[in-house]
Amino acid sequence: MTTFRVLSLTLLAGLTVNLAQAADAAHGQKVFAECAACHSAGKGPSGVGPSLFGVFGRKAGTLDDFRFSPAMKRSNIVWSRETLDAYLADPQRAVPANRMPFGGIPDAQNRADLLDYMEQTFKQ
Amino acid sequence: MAKKLKEVDVVVVGLGWTGGILSKELTDAGLKVVALERGGNRTTQDDYALPGVRDELRYVVRHDLMQNTARDTLTVRNNISQEALPMRRLGSFLPGEVVGGSGVHWSGHTWRWTDLEFKVRSMYEERYGKKYIPEDMTIQDWGISYAELEPYYEKFERAAAVSGKAGNLRGQIQEGGNPFEAPRQNEYALPPLTKIHASQMFNAAAKNLGYHPFPRPSANASRPYTNQYGAQFGACEYCGYCQRFGCEANAKGSPHVAVIPAVMKSANFELRAHAWVTKVIKDKSGKRVTGVLYTNILTGEEYEQPAGMVILTAFALNNVHLMLASNIGQPYDPKTGKGVIGRNYCYQTGTSATLFFEGKHFNPFMNAGGSNDTIDDINSNWAFDRAPFGYIGGANISGGFNTNLPIGYRPVPRGTPPWGKEWKAATAKWYQGAMKIDASGAVMANRYNYLDLDPTYRNAFGQPLMRMTFDYKDNEHKIGQHAAQVINQIAKSMNPTHLTEAVARTTPWTVVPYQSTHNTGGTIMGVNPRTSAVNRYLQSWDCHNLFIVGANVFAHNASYNPTGPVGALAYWTADAIRNQYLKNPGALVHA
Repeated sequence: MTTFRVLSLTLLAGLTVNLAQAADAAHGQKVFAECAACHSAGKGPSGVGPSLFGVFGRKAGTLDDFRFSPAMKRSNIVWSRETLDAYLADPQRAVPANRMPFGGIPDAQNRADLLDYMEQTFKQ
Repeated sequence: MAKKLKEVDVVVVGLGWTGGILSKELTDAGLKVVALERGGNRTTQDDYALPGVRDELRYVVRHDLMQNTARDTLTVRNNISQEALPMRRLGSFLPGEVVGGSGVHWSGHTWRWTDLEFKVRSMYEERYGKKYIPEDMTIQDWGISYAELEPYYEKFERAAAVSGKAGNLRGQIQEGGNPFEAPRQNEYALPPLTKIHASQMFNAAAKNLGYHPFPRPSANASRPYTNQYGAQFGACEYCGYCQRFGCEANAKGSPHVAVIPAVMKSANFELRAHAWVTKVIKDKSGKRVTGVLYTNILTGEEYEQPAGMVILTAFALNNVHLMLASNIGQPYDPKTGKGVIGRNYCYQTGTSATLFFEGKHFNPFMNAGGSNDTIDDINSNWAFDRAPFGYIGGANISGGFNTNLPIGYRPVPRGTPPWGKEWKAATAKWYQGAMKIDASGAVMANRYNYLDLDPTYRNAFGQPLMRMTFDYKDNEHKIGQHAAQVINQIAKSMNPTHLTEAVARTTPWTVVPYQSTHNTGGTIMGVNPRTSAVNRYLQSWDCHNLFIVGANVFAHNASYNPTGPVGALAYWTADAIRNQYLKNPGALVHA
């Protein structure tokens, strides 16, 4: 996994990201395909990954129906656009030793679109 | 006394790839299906999640997903003059015992077997003459063609999220794919996986010598993917834990992800886990089956499940055992060559070289089941003239590695002491710098390789164990020799610091160490009831409402992994049942 992190950072550094570009929730839904094998869209129960319904404003590692890693439980993160963005950019850097088997989304525009989609879909 | 349950339309014995596919197809057709599975019902979220799944002791050493030999095993011998003894611990092959079957712990290699296998006798006789085939080699045509199976291969590849590159699209050879494959109608479900560095090196070296390397097609999703049943696959994370493990990212095409969740939603379907089928019951005429007898292995209670149709979809060897234990069809006798149940049992052969490069960092912990490149120049390539080598079949050769586990993977050059200071120094030195070139070779059917019931040993249910009589013959030795030559030629051209050369196997087969879970034959398909147990639709020649699906129907074993045709034949059989058998129950082929 270490090599993945190095790879992701290299990619990140090598990309010219236009942050001014408007986020696009429709595109974000496509990006969510990377997450969908483990996280249900909308108000689904926890599965391979925890339910994301109501994630904004929730303290990390606090859902009753999912067994979180100790790392996630003691992270003290409250999920917001900013904290999710950092986590999605590089999950192991943001919360070392968390158990999500995913290398991250290096592209900032993809993350912005994804977060737009998530705000629409997972708001309580 | 067994408790008799209410009759259902179909009983499926074993819920892995074939049981899952048949259950889905037949519940969709409106039939009421009960699946009986020996193992428990495990899911990715409850059982294969991190970090629990990263347990080499549990899954590799203690075989947590495999058949429990304390309950049932095989006796084994190399030839009929020996007394067979029970295999008390799994080794050479590892049948799965869980919902999802061996499809949970496989690597995902998915091949399309071609007419080189399905028409093996007629093609070799036509090209090389009848005398080319040794007298005791009981190979025969399968009664099916690649063209017939092509759409069913595609259906399976789409269900299992197979990543790869087509080499032959409707007759047009495609750059980057296998130029020797049979024509495909469409590309793979997903593009190939990212190559690991070792595979890139193998690819360059093989190409340089005039071979035709291509990425190994594998049911490891290279991208997020949704299959025809709505099953969602994550992209492979190259974590290196394919073989022996469930996939935590749902990126591996496994039946418990790909098809079983869809059938579980059907009101027509019921799964009974921990249900061990001991017998298929025949009616008085012996021409129909009426259901199965099974034991709930948690409670010890015995049940009779009546059914209009019985489909055996257990692991290949267990399907054969159930036929022998139920006394359906004539058991095979190698002395007379008569009988069909147990006939043409085959296995696989292989050899490998390990290449050690000083200063290389291969990162062996990072790979996928299909991250190797491979060549088919001495395998599915019919233009390759076998006559100078004198064999039938061939070997698929691949370079790189997969599933190199952090504790068990300790490559050291041949001649290194197996323990102590020197071994420690060597394992530290070479962990990062080693790669392999492997060959997987075909095994042709032989008159004296077969399965029958053991006269002495019994399982936990008081039934005779199945006895396996198997050894490699001259044909396998010749394939091994040629494969070793090709491997060593490529390996030497790569200039490794050390090379542990490939050596062809000449010693008898044994139950240790692990070799391959590709056991085939025993209830083979064919055109003649005197030499096959099932017809081309995998329907029993003896009882028309009994179908037997799995690698047990292969008339011989190729060098390829078996799951591609196993999955395709499951769809092929489902189609025959839905479109032919249900309309007109009876023999689908008249002998």
